[in-house]
Amino acid sequence: MSEGPHLLNQNFNCVCVCVCVCVRIKELCQQFPHGITDQVIQNDMPHLEPQQRAMAINKLLSLGQLDLLRNSSGLLYRMKDIQSTSKMKGSDNQEKLVYQIIEDAGNKGIWSRDIRFKSNLPLTEINKILKSLESKKLIKAVKSVAASKKKVYMLYNLQPDRSVTGGAWYSDQDFESEFVEVLNQQCFKFLQSKAEAARDSKQSPMVQRNSSFATSHEVWKYICELGISKVDLSMDDIETILNTLIYDGKVEMTVIAAKEGTVGSVDGQMKLYRGVNPVIQPTGLVRTPCGLCPVFDDCHDGGEISPSNCIYMTEWLDF
Amino acid sequence: MTAQEVRLCGLLLREHFGEVVEKVGRHLIRSGAQNLRTLLHETGISIDLVKKSLCVLVQHGVCVFSSGRKGPGSPTEYRTSCDRILRILRYPRYIYTAKTLYGDTGELIIEELLQRGDMTMSSTVKTVADRLTQNMEEGRSMDYSEVSSAFSKLVETHFLQRCPPMAAAATKNGAASATPATPATPGTPSFPDCYRVPHVTLIGKGKRRLSNEDGEDQRSAKRAKIDSETHGDEGIYWQVNFERFHLHFRDQAIISAVANKLDQTSSEIVRTMLRMSEVTTSPTATCTKPLSANEIFRSLPSSYNIARPILDQYLTLLVDDPMEFVGKAGESGGGMYVVNLHRALANLARATLESVVQERFGSRSARIFRLLLRKRHLEQKQVEDFAMIPAKEAKDMLYTLLSQNLVQLQEIPKTPDYAPSRTFYLYTVNQLPTARMLLQNCYKTVANLIERRLFESKESKRLLEKSQRIEAILASLQASGAEPEQLTEVEEMITAPEKQQLESLRLHINKLDSAENQVDETIFLLESYINSTVTS
Repeated sequence: MSEGPHLLNQNFNCVCVCVCVCVRIKELCQQFPHGITDQVIQNDMPHLEPQQRAMAINKLLSLGQLDLLRNSSGLLYRMKDIQSTSKMKGSDNQEKLVYQIIEDAGNKGIWSRDIRFKSNLPLTEINKILKSLESKKLIKAVKSVAASKKKVYMLYNLQPDRSVTGGAWYSDQDFESEFVEVLNQQCFKFLQSKAEAARDSKQSPMVQRNSSFATSHEVWKYICELGISKVDLSMDDIETILNTLIYDGKVEMTVIAAKEGTVGSVDGQMKLYRGVNPVIQPTGLVRTPCGLCPVFDDCHDGGEISPSNCIYMTEWLDF
Repeated sequence: MTAQEVRLCGLLLREHFGEVVEKVGRHLIRSGAQNLRTLLHETGISIDLVKKSLCVLVQHGVCVFSSGRKGPGSPTEYRTSCDRILRILRYPRYIYTAKTLYGDTGELIIEELLQRGDMTMSSTVKTVADRLTQNMEEGRSMDYSEVSSAFSKLVETHFLQRCPPMAAAATKNGAASATPATPATPGTPSFPDCYRVPHVTLIGKGKRRLSNEDGEDQRSAKRAKIDSETHGDEGIYWQVNFERFHLHFRDQAIISAVANKLDQTSSEIVRTMLRMSEVTTSPTATCTKPLSANEIFRSLPSSYNIARPILDQYLTLLVDDPMEFVGKAGESGGGMYVVNLHRALANLARATLESVVQERFGSRSARIFRLLLRKRHLEQKQVEDFAMIPAKEAKDMLYTLLSQNLVQLQEIPKTPDYAPSRTFYLYTVNQLPTARMLLQNCYKTVANLIERRLFESKESKRLLEKSQRIEAILASLQASGAEPEQLTEVEEMITAPEKQQLESLRLHINKLDSAENQVDETIFLLESYINSTVTS
C-alpha cells in the first residue's frame, strides 16, 4: 500500500493552484468512473507537489464531491453521485454518519441504541438526526415482531427482512392464527383423503401405504392451487404447518432418499407425510367427571368439595 | 402405599368383606408386617373378630404369614400388600374374559374361585355344575365331566394355578408353627406341580335346587362340611392366576392398538404372533421370542388366506411403522420377527397421557405436550414457533400445564449466580413420573366413584328397603297362588314418582359401576407400563 497524501497544514498561497488542480482531478474522476488512485493523479500532473495534491483532495472531500475509498492497492477517489450529493446537501457530517450506519445495516435495520454505539454521538443528537432524516424521507422505522416496543431503522425504500416482520405468518405484527388453522385443516384433509383413497383401492398393502404418502412438494402445490393464501408460501412454510400436524398426532413423516433433480427434493432427500389414525380411544379416566375436574386436588371426603356433593357428578349422572 | 391407594383399598375391603376386615386390612397395609398381639392391641377389636378377619384375608390370598423377624420361634407375622387388594377392582374384567374365552362354564368357574379365594377342584366343579343346572331348562342338567374339562382347559392355559403348598396347617394364634415354605409375597409360585391337574374321580351331574328345598339345602350345606366324600384331590387348592390374565389383557391392548393404527389384517398377524408366544415368553420379557415368517404363515387362522408374499409385505409394514410394535430380529427362516412388548406398552402409556391432556386442556395444549414429548427440551420461544400458536396463548397454556405438574422446567444457568436474565429455562416432559402421577389420580378417581355410589345408595336406603319388602311380598303371594287383584294392589304400594326415583337410582349406580371399570382399564395400562420400566 503506497503511502497516500495525508492532511497537512494548508498553505494559503497555493489556493489558486488548488482550484486548477481540483478541476483537473474532477475531470480525471469523470474519466475513470471506477475511481482513481493517487498514482493516476501524479502521472497526470507530475509537476504537482504532494502537499498541493493533498490540499486539493481534501478540499474536494470536504465539499462532498469526492468519495474516499480504500481497496487492496491503496486509496481510491471516486466521483460522488450528484443525486446523493444533493440529498445530503444541507446535512451536516453527523447526519451523514448516521445515514451511513443505517445504510450499512441493510434490510435488517438497526436499533437506535446500536446507532449510538457505532457513532459515539449523544442520545439527544441521535434522536434529532433520526427525526430530521425521517422527515426528509430517507429512512423509516419498522416495528420488530420479536419485541413490539423496539423500533429498527432502515433505508426508506428497502423491504424489511423476514426475521423482523415474522414472515408469512405475521401481518402487521399480529400472528395470524386463523390463517394457520385454516392451512392446518386443509393440509390434513388433503392427506386424509389421500390415505382413504389408498385404503379403498384394495391393492397389496405395500402399494397401499406408498400411495397414501404425499411429498411436501405435492402438499405445497395443492395449497397454492387452493388459493386460500394471499401471501406466497414457500415449501418451508408448508413444512412448518405439516410439523404442527405431526405434533397434533394426526400425521406421520418419513424421509426417503431421492435422486437430485426430482421435483421437491432438498439435498437428496424428500419428506413424505401420511395421515394416520389415533392409536387408542380416549382413555377411561377422561370419561369420568373426576378426570376433567378443575378442583380435583381440593376434593376430599367430608370436605367442602367431596364426591358426595360433587355437582359435576350430579350433572353427569343425570345426563 | 400412597394415601390414595390406602383409601381405595379400604373402600374395596369394606365393600367385599365388611367393616371389621376393612379395619384390620387397613391397619396391616399401613404398618407393614405385624404379629397378632400387636394387631390386637392397635386395632382394639376382639380377638375372635381379628382371627376371623385374618382367616378371610389369608383365604383370599390378600394376606400372607411368615415366621417372625426374630427367628423360627417368634410369633408369625402377617403382611399384606396393596397390589393384591387393588386386583379386586378388576374382578369383573377377569370374569368377562373367561366368559369370552371359555363360555359360561369358564365364567362361573372363575367367579366361584374369585368369590371363595381358593377351592379344591372337586368342590368347584360341583358348585358350578349345580349353578349351571339351575339355569337350564327342566329335565336337563350339567354333567360334571363338562365342567371338569373346562377346568382342565383353564389350567392348561395357566389361567388357574395351584395354591402354594403349606408345610403344615398353620394355626392362627401365632403359636410356633413350622416355618412354612411359602414365599413371602403371594407372587408367582415356582414349584413344579403348579399347573398339573390332579386325577379326580368326579362322576355325576349337577343338582337342581328347587325353591321349596331351601330349608333342606341349608341343612345339606352344613352337612357338606362334614361330608366325607373324597375325590382324590384333598389339600390341592386352586386359585386364579392374575398374572396370566394381565398378560392376556396386555396382548389385547396391543392388538387393538395395531388394529386402530393399521388395519384388521395386521392386527390378526400380531394376534397370531402373540398367541404363539403365550407360554414361551416370561411375563417380564422385553419382547417375545423370535418367530420366523414361515411359522407365522403356518399358524395363521385358516379363515385368512393371505398369500405368502402378502404376509411378508404386512410384516415389513409392521416393522417400518414408527410405533415399533414389531421388530425384525434376523433373516433366517424368511425373517425372524419379535413383538416389542415394552416399547408397545410405553407407546400406549404415552397415548394415554396425551389423551388425558387433550381432553382436559384442549387440543392446542395437547399439541404443545406432544411437541415437548418429541423434542425433549425446548425454550419458550421455540415452543411458540414449532407449535404455531400465538405467544400469549402459548405462554398461558404452558403455565397451566406447569401448574398441574404435567410439564417440568429445567434451568440451565449461564453464569454461576443463577441470575434469571442469564439463565436458560427449558420446558420438558418426563414420561415415567407423569405416568405415576396420573396413576395416583386414577386411584383417587375410583375411590371417589365408589364413595359416590355408596352415598347414593345410602340416600335412598329407605326407598330401597321398601321396594325390597314389596318384592318379597309379591314373590310369596305368587308362590302361594294369589289372584291378580291382590298382586296389583301390592304393586301399587310403590307410587309412580318412587318408581321413577328407583329407576334413576339404578341408572346412576350402573353408570358409576361402568365408570369404575373404564378407569380400571387406564389403571391397568399405566401399571403395566410402570412395572415394565422397573424390571428393565
